[in-house]
Amino acid sequence: MPVLAPSRRLFIGGSLATAGAALLSPRRAMAQSAATLQLSWLHSVQFGGSYIAQSKGYWTDAGLDVSLLPGGPNAPVEPPVVAGTALVGISAADYTAAAVNQGAPFKIIGVAMQKNPFAIASLPDNPVNSPADLVGKKIGMALANTPVLEALCTVNDVDISQIEVVPTQYDAAPLVQGQVDCLLCWATDLPVAMETQGVESVTMLLADHGYSVHSQTYIATEDSLANRREDLVALMTGEVRGWEDYQADPAAAAALTVEMFPDAGLDLPTQELQADRQVPLMFSDLTDAEGFGWFTDETVAANVETLDLLGTPVSPDLWDRSILEEVHG
Amino acid sequence: MTMGDATAPEGPAAQARAKLLPKGVGLLLALAAWEAVARITAGGFVIAAPSEIAFYIGANTGLLLRALGTTLWSAAQGFVWGNLAGVLLALVAVLAPRSERLLSTLALLIFCLPLVATGPILRVLYGPGTGPQVTLAALAVYYTTFLPVLVGLRAAPRGWFDLVRSYGRSRWTEMFQVRLPAALPYVVAGLQIAAPAAFLGAMVGEFTGAERGLGVLTVRALRALDLPATWSIAAIAAGVSMLAFAGVGALGRRLDLAPPEVLLAPPTDTRRRAWSGIAEALLAAAVTLTVWKGSMELFALPRFFAKRPEDVWAYLVTSPGAEAQRARLFGALGETLALAGPGYLAGLVLGAGLAMGLTLRPRLAGAVIPVSIALRSIPIVATAPLIVWALGRGATGTIAVVATMIFFPTLIACQHGLARTPRAVLDLFDVYATGSLRRLASAQLPAMLPAFFASARMAIPAAILAVTTAEWLATGRGIGALMATVASTSDYGMLWSAIALIGLAAVLAHALVVALERIVLSRTSAEQLAR
Repeated sequence: MPVLAPSRRLFIGGSLATAGAALLSPRRAMAQSAATLQLSWLHSVQFGGSYIAQSKGYWTDAGLDVSLLPGGPNAPVEPPVVAGTALVGISAADYTAAAVNQGAPFKIIGVAMQKNPFAIASLPDNPVNSPADLVGKKIGMALANTPVLEALCTVNDVDISQIEVVPTQYDAAPLVQGQVDCLLCWATDLPVAMETQGVESVTMLLADHGYSVHSQTYIATEDSLANRREDLVALMTGEVRGWEDYQADPAAAAALTVEMFPDAGLDLPTQELQADRQVPLMFSDLTDAEGFGWFTDETVAANVETLDLLGTPVSPDLWDRSILEEVHG
Repeated sequence: MTMGDATAPEGPAAQARAKLLPKGVGLLLALAAWEAVARITAGGFVIAAPSEIAFYIGANTGLLLRALGTTLWSAAQGFVWGNLAGVLLALVAVLAPRSERLLSTLALLIFCLPLVATGPILRVLYGPGTGPQVTLAALAVYYTTFLPVLVGLRAAPRGWFDLVRSYGRSRWTEMFQVRLPAALPYVVAGLQIAAPAAFLGAMVGEFTGAERGLGVLTVRALRALDLPATWSIAAIAAGVSMLAFAGVGALGRRLDLAPPEVLLAPPTDTRRRAWSGIAEALLAAAVTLTVWKGSMELFALPRFFAKRPEDVWAYLVTSPGAEAQRARLFGALGETLALAGPGYLAGLVLGAGLAMGLTLRPRLAGAVIPVSIALRSIPIVATAPLIVWALGRGATGTIAVVATMIFFPTLIACQHGLARTPRAVLDLFDVYATGSLRRLASAQLPAMLPAFFASARMAIPAAILAVTTAEWLATGRGIGALMATVASTSDYGMLWSAIALIGLAAVLAHALVVALERIVLSRTSAEQLAR
């Protein structure tokens, strides 16, 4: 791309500059190359591990100068990764599968959220504790997510025609206003918002009811995997170290997030709550044994099965563990 | 506001005092009522009370000021570039009249591009920073400046042009001595409409992945169910837009614009040879396709998300699934047009009706104009939940959203049009002591018509934007919901097919309005049709 494509000359110039700097600062011992990580949403503790990697210099240690590009409502992750303005994007297996079905040359090289964060949020006096409770309820959701509900119903033998879908914007207001009985949302955002506003809610994680879709996945193009392997390894090394620190102290990650982005309108209690809620989604026995971001043939097979139900059939080849193997190896 | 100028000058101080008292009391009463309603409905998270807004702004002044500075700076740059582009386009269209149809078609099509398509492209082109915000702010204003200025450049008596020509002076003299002075009041109208639009464009531009700004805070506040924050941001956006609106208006009055002239022009033959219309349409189509493909190739945008015309053709015509894809797309378009049409007409009638009503009761302007600006400067994502809560997710809510977005530019353009009624004509009516209704119908309404048709043209893309947003956020039907869905599943073939179809619908609607305009203006304002 015309804007950020690192030309050879730029690269050599950068190497010379950093070589000079290396004489002065011992920390920058390796030549730095530049890469952009495209986040999937506005800055928040959702990407806490990346902020730790940046502030503690885990990427510069690995020889990579990473800039973080925030997402937003009209900032899909896939275009900048295809265009090459971002080396790696934070996507999710369902989005990636859809993009690959449309011809995008992506591979999933790491999985930050082992359990999908999608949940059904409801109020305690009219709760949804299991998929069967959805029958006869009004659910508020973006119509784009209809396949998610369909997959959940298929796996759990629930008749979807018994559920009334109300198209809403992504916001807890329709639930607290009583326009709907429940919402399809992430367990880590709208329920946290309600709790911060003093509204108690019940969340049922879809991942606990057979919905196996890796989320917050790291995607890169096949071209990058072939030609920029070192940068990918460096980027994922920094991510892994950052998220290990996060696991040890989520509250510190929340504090760092608020400190790093004073203009993002974040408040500490909300960020701490969100930081806690995403821990069980990101870390498991599998990651404790094999390391952050890991996936196995079994977890991939479960994903392929759910993605098939979502109408986006993919081959297990979509996942490529070679970068993680180098990082953890 | 232009209408304020008409008040009698006798005893200004006494009059101001007399006005101020009831006005202040009215404002206090309104605030008290607002506070009460907010407190009664507090559990529903619908309305934030004025006290909560004041408290939030007080507690987060630094954050809000920094965000405002960021957004305002993007909006200001976009305002300058967009208006410059709008005025230049209008000048070219007048200097080379043959290019007008082509220019206005291209201008309309670019204005119709939805954020779901432009957002990712602009972000990829610019990378991090405020490039997309500035561009989207500029894109939000150029069209609504282009149209009124085009009208203004023609709003001069035929005799003046004859005079310039009889002295053998050039088209440049004509431009500088006759057209530009005549266009000035229309430039002011364009800039006034542009002020809130640029601010909204910059805010929405931040949805494409920005670090900071009021748009970023809006998204955050909506998700966090933080009503005081949402309403504070909305209040700030509305306040800034009102100030900019008033500032441009004051500047316009400082310019001491020449009083409107009696515009006499010989009737023009509005019949056009059939083949010239077809040739123009073919040329416009060819240029559009070339610009579409050429710009994507020039910037080497990947085909994955920047579909070329031939990709859309394949998607809708030659690919294996084309028939099903066409059916899905046309079905959605049908649903959309069924709501956009009534909303469009309602917005136009409301805007023009209000403008006329305000000439009869000028004092109401102080209440109507600020509310109109507020509705226009707050992102629909923030206002839609309120409209949905009040009117439901059915057709009424959607039509209301469309009408809301259209009536403000119509109101302002028509107000300026009404103000262009020649003084001599009004004096004549005064001499015969004609009633104000009669004066409105026989003198002011005809003077307003060119501006009204300019706003009817502007309202076409505005209606499309409003209806697709409402569909995405509230009803989940039609082409707006379709575009949101396919954008999230990387189905860019469908997205660009939808864009192409919307563009085509807009061009057809525009042609219809232009045809109507020619019929009406050939009787009332022939100077607009002279080429």
